[in-house]
Amino acid sequence: MELLSPVWPAATASRPAKTRPRALSGIRIALVDDNLDIPFTTHLETLLTERTGAKVRRLVKPSGTAPSPPALLDDAAASDVAVVGIGL
Amino acid sequence: MDLVSERLNVEDYDEAVELFYERGWTDGLPIVLPTRRRVEAMIAASLRDPQHSLGAVPPKGGPATIEKLAINAVMGGCLPEHFPVVIAAMQAMLEPTHNLNGVLQTTHMCVSLVIVNGPIARRLGFNSRDGVFGNGYRANAAVGRAVRLALWNLGGAFPWDTDKSTLSHPGEYAFCIAEEEEDNPWRPLHVERGCPDGSDAVTVFACEAPHSVFCYGTPEEMLHVLTDSMCALGNNNVHVLGQTLVTLNPLNAEEFARRGWSKADIRHYLWEHARRRLADVRACGVVHEQFRKMERDAGRYPHRYDLDNPTTRLPVTATPDDIHIVVAGGRSYFAAVLPGWGGFGGFAVTRRIEWSS
Repeated sequence: MELLSPVWPAATASRPAKTRPRALSGIRIALVDDNLDIPFTTHLETLLTERTGAKVRRLVKPSGTAPSPPALLDDAAASDVAVVGIGL
Repeated sequence: MDLVSERLNVEDYDEAVELFYERGWTDGLPIVLPTRRRVEAMIAASLRDPQHSLGAVPPKGGPATIEKLAINAVMGGCLPEHFPVVIAAMQAMLEPTHNLNGVLQTTHMCVSLVIVNGPIARRLGFNSRDGVFGNGYRANAAVGRAVRLALWNLGGAFPWDTDKSTLSHPGEYAFCIAEEEEDNPWRPLHVERGCPDGSDAVTVFACEAPHSVFCYGTPEEMLHVLTDSMCALGNNNVHVLGQTLVTLNPLNAEEFARRGWSKADIRHYLWEHARRRLADVRACGVVHEQFRKMERDAGRYPHRYDLDNPTTRLPVTATPDDIHIVVAGGRSYFAAVLPGWGGFGGFAVTRRIEWSS
């Protein structure tokens, strides 16, 4: 008996991981703001900037409960480090 | 017919069912076997190219091609004539307004309900009367399950993985009703939402399981109990607004209409009266308070409500139009309220059922 699979084959290719930075000072950090707890995210942005000496760029998602738009992901990927999730 | 799905060779039904369990391709129940003959009949009923994709199903992004949807529809027990309903439901769920990605992964227990409207509901045997949210009707069960299996196999939000719902509800197996349109004094849901009279459509709305409302009497008495049921402090909507579905039974609807109440009148009354004092809402705790402030800071909670005054009466939706009303169920004492996810998504989307490409 022949049946058809209900799923797509698993993806085999994955993006190569970036090299981990040795220190945070002077590097570019993308802070993906999930547009939920704005005061908390602002506080985190200040701490990251003041304590690490990194250049922090805040990228704001349109919604905290929907995926980031592709352009925002590309923007975050251009940094050395990206903070992509903040637990509440 | 050119199909691209992997072929699986099995000896018999038992081996097939166990294979689908082993590979995690079913929801916990056995399936109807997706043979090539059954799948081709399903695709033929859609009059669409098997490789046409309706979009990527979140969170893992598997394309919802007609072929893959047909395979999952067979597994769920659909007949070919059910398939256009499954397609329309998937199209509606993939609209950004519904935020399917969030619905499938939230810790909240909402599940996307499929509401079928139009002559097709009666023609295909969808239940809209006694036991409407329950079992016993192939169309409700098979279409509801086909949609869930497609989300399972193409989107891949599994409860041990990225489906973070901490409780969920039984509608995750199948959650599909039809609106009662014959024993109903008002325009049906899909016509209210812009579809032509006599057309077929589905509306999807992510909501909790039905909350029973002992609802019988004069319009004022029915509204009294409905408003109380809609603003229980456990609902997300009380804290961050959102949308709510109210299911009135045909006897309720008849009594309202006989006394001159339109659906718009009811919706407006419910919006005005299903409210809680800020002091009561604040007593729920600081986490609830934080969510409300978060929504206010993000511009999603209207500033017209004074959140510093404990006597402010907070609504459960931003507007009366966020209260959806359908007529369904048995002529009885019982209505139902199905609160949504709050302001985060799962909002109602209506899509016409198309009978050709």
